[in-house]
Amino acid sequence: MAKKNRKKGQAKFPVPIPIVALVAVLAGLSLVYVCLQSRTETLGREIKLLEASRDRLRDQLVREQCEWARLQSPSSLDQALKSHGLVMTWPGRDQIVRIRYDGSPDTRGMDTRPVSRMARADRIVMNVN
Amino acid sequence: MSTDQRGSTRFLIIVALLGMAMVGLVVRLVVLHLGSPEQDRATAAKTRTFKQTVSVPRGRILDASSTSGIMALNVGVKDIWADPASLSASNRVFSTISRLKPLLEFDVAEVTERLCRTNSRFAYIARLVPEEKADQVAALKLPGVYMDDAATRSYPQNNLMCHVLGFVNSDGVGSWGLEQLMEKYLKGSPGLIESQLDGRRREMVDRRIREVPAKDGADVVLTIDQHLQYIVEKALDSAMERNRAKAAFVIMQRIRTGEILAMASRPDFDPNRYREARDHQKINRAIAVNYDPGSTFKPAVIAAALNEGVVKPETKFDTENGRWLYQKKVLRDYHSYSQLDVKDILKKSSNIGTAKIAIMLGDQRLYQYLRNFNIGSKLGVDLPGEEGGILTPVKKWAPISASRIAIGQGVAVTGLQMLGVLCAIANDGVLMKPYVIREVVAADGTVLLRRQPEILSRPIRPETAKLMRNLLARVCEDGGTGKKAAVKGIRTAGKTGTAQKVIAGHYSETDYMASFAGFLPASKPEIGMIVVFDNPQPLHTGGAVAAPVFGEIAEQAVRYLGIIPEGEDALSQTDSRGPASESNESF
Repeated sequence: MAKKNRKKGQAKFPVPIPIVALVAVLAGLSLVYVCLQSRTETLGREIKLLEASRDRLRDQLVREQCEWARLQSPSSLDQALKSHGLVMTWPGRDQIVRIRYDGSPDTRGMDTRPVSRMARADRIVMNVN
Repeated sequence: MSTDQRGSTRFLIIVALLGMAMVGLVVRLVVLHLGSPEQDRATAAKTRTFKQTVSVPRGRILDASSTSGIMALNVGVKDIWADPASLSASNRVFSTISRLKPLLEFDVAEVTERLCRTNSRFAYIARLVPEEKADQVAALKLPGVYMDDAATRSYPQNNLMCHVLGFVNSDGVGSWGLEQLMEKYLKGSPGLIESQLDGRRREMVDRRIREVPAKDGADVVLTIDQHLQYIVEKALDSAMERNRAKAAFVIMQRIRTGEILAMASRPDFDPNRYREARDHQKINRAIAVNYDPGSTFKPAVIAAALNEGVVKPETKFDTENGRWLYQKKVLRDYHSYSQLDVKDILKKSSNIGTAKIAIMLGDQRLYQYLRNFNIGSKLGVDLPGEEGGILTPVKKWAPISASRIAIGQGVAVTGLQMLGVLCAIANDGVLMKPYVIREVVAADGTVLLRRQPEILSRPIRPETAKLMRNLLARVCEDGGTGKKAAVKGIRTAGKTGTAQKVIAGHYSETDYMASFAGFLPASKPEIGMIVVFDNPQPLHTGGAVAAPVFGEIAEQAVRYLGIIPEGEDALSQTDSRGPASESNESF
C-alpha cells in the first residue's frame, strides 16, 4: 500500500499572510482616507456655498436697511402724508395732557420722568407744516 | 519559423514595449513627485495658490436714535466690464452695446471706443450698477461681458445733514466731513484668504492655507437727531427762498452737555452725487466761516461788565440821541435814544450804550473775558475744517477797538463760537465743548469711543449768568428787537444781530449778515440755537429775517423734545426740580 502523501491536497497560499494583512490594512486606510478626503471636499464646497450665501444675504440685508432708512426718513414720511392729503400739526398747549406717576396705584405705568429729563424724551415723528 | 514561434515573439515585443512605456511613466511620476527641481515645484504651487483680500463693509453713520436713523451705509453693487478683444473678434461690439443700453446708463460713444480696442482684454462698461440692474444684465447672458462685486457709499437721506456727514471718494476713502474725520473707525480692516485652486480654478476650501478674518467698520452714532435736523433744514430752505439769501446756517445745541442736536448749512449738496457739487456748496458755514457777529456779540460784553461789577442792570448811560463821536469816529444807533439803562441797552440793542460799557470795562478785562468765552480759538468740535475766529491780541488794539469789538465789529467768530457764548450764559456760566459724535460702536457691539460732556471754561459766575438770562429774555418781549423769535408759552431769550459785511476792506452799506442767537426756556434752558443769513434781501435785519426762523424751529423743537412750557411743570408733584418759571424774578 502506497504511503499517503500528506502535503498532497493542501492548497498553498501564494503570498505570505503578513503581507496580505499589510496590504489589507493599507487598502482599508486608503479607503478611509478617500472617504475622509471626499467628505472634506464636500464640506469645503458646502462652506464655500454658505459663505457665498452669507455674503448675498448680507448684501440683501444692507439693501433692505438702506431702503427702510429711506422710507422712514422724515422727508419720505412728510411726502407720504402729503400724497394722502394728511396734514399733521403739532398739538396746541391745551391739547396736551401730561399724566405722571404720583405714587398712587391709578397712575402706575405712567410717565415717571422728572421734568428736567423731558428734553431727553423719546421722539415722535410728525410732518411739519 | 513556425507560426507559434512568430506569435510568441510578437507577444514578447508588445509586452516589452508596454513594459518600457510603464517604466517610463513610473520614472516620470517619481521625477515629478520627488525629483523635480525646487523651482518647478514652486511654480506649480504658485499657479495653484491664490491670495484674496476680503473687503469689509464700511461702518454706518447713525443719528441720535441709533437704530432707525441710518445716515450713511455701504451698499453692494456691480462693476460691469467686457473683454474687447473677444467681442471684436466675434464682431459683437455693437450688438452688445445695443442690448445693454436700455438697462444701463453709459455714454455710448465712449464705451464703443473702449470696446473697439482690439488689443485690450478689459474695459469698463458701467460701474457701481445696482444689484437689480446687474441681475437683468446677467439674465441676458452676453458672451464677453462680466461682472465684479463692488460697494458704494449710500446716503439714504440725500442732502440731509450733508455737511456733517461729508462723503467718500471713488476709492472708498472718506474725503469730507465725518467720513473723513472718522476714517480709521469706519473703514474697518480687510481680511485675507490664502488657499489653493483645483483644475477648474475653483477654491479648494479644505486646502485653505491661511484665513485672516475681516473686521467690519465700526458704526458712528451722532448726537444729531434726523427729525430735528429735518425741521431745521426745512425751515432754513423756506427762509432762504423767502429772503433770497446768499447763504445761511443753523446750529442747535443742548445747553447742559454741548451735544449738537442739529447743524445745517446752505447751499448744500447731495453726498450721493458729490462730484456734481461745487466747492462753495460743500462748505459747512456753521463752523468753517468767520463773520462779524454784530449785535449778537453784545451779550458777551455786557455779561463781562456785570460779572466784574462795573455796571448793574439799572445803570444808566447817555446814548447821545443815536450819534456819538468817539476818538474822531462816529458811532450810530439804529434807533435814537437819549438815555438807556443796561437792561434796555441790550433790549434795544444800543451800539453807543454797549460801546460805553466796554470802555468802562477796559481793554484788558474785555479781552480776557472774550478769550474765556473762547473767542479767537477753536472750540474743538469733532468735525474737520473748524475755524477759530479772529480776535486781535489786546496789545495791538487801537483806542477805538473796544468800542467797536463791543458791537461785534473788528472781531470775527464762527457760528459755533457765537452760539457757545449764548449757551455758556444759559448754562450758569459754564462753556461746554460742542460735539457731534456720541459714540463709536464696533460690529460686535463693543463701544470703542464714548463722548462725555466736557467743560471748556467758566467765563462768568452763575449769578451773572442768571441775570443775563433775564436780560436776554427781555429782548424777545414786546419792544425788544427779537420779539419774532418768541415761542408761545415758553420764555425765550436771545439777541439779534445785523452786521455789515466787510467788502474790499470796508463795511458795506448794502450787504449784511442777519442773525439771531438764543436759548429756551429762558429760566431753565434746554436748547440753544443760532440762525444766520448771509446777505438776505430785501429785509436784512436779524430781527426781521433770523428771529422768525428761530421761532419757527424752536416752536417745533420744544414739542419734539418734550420740553414743558413754563408753568406746567409746577403742577407736577413728582418734579424734583420745582417750579421753573422765573418770569417774575427781579434783577
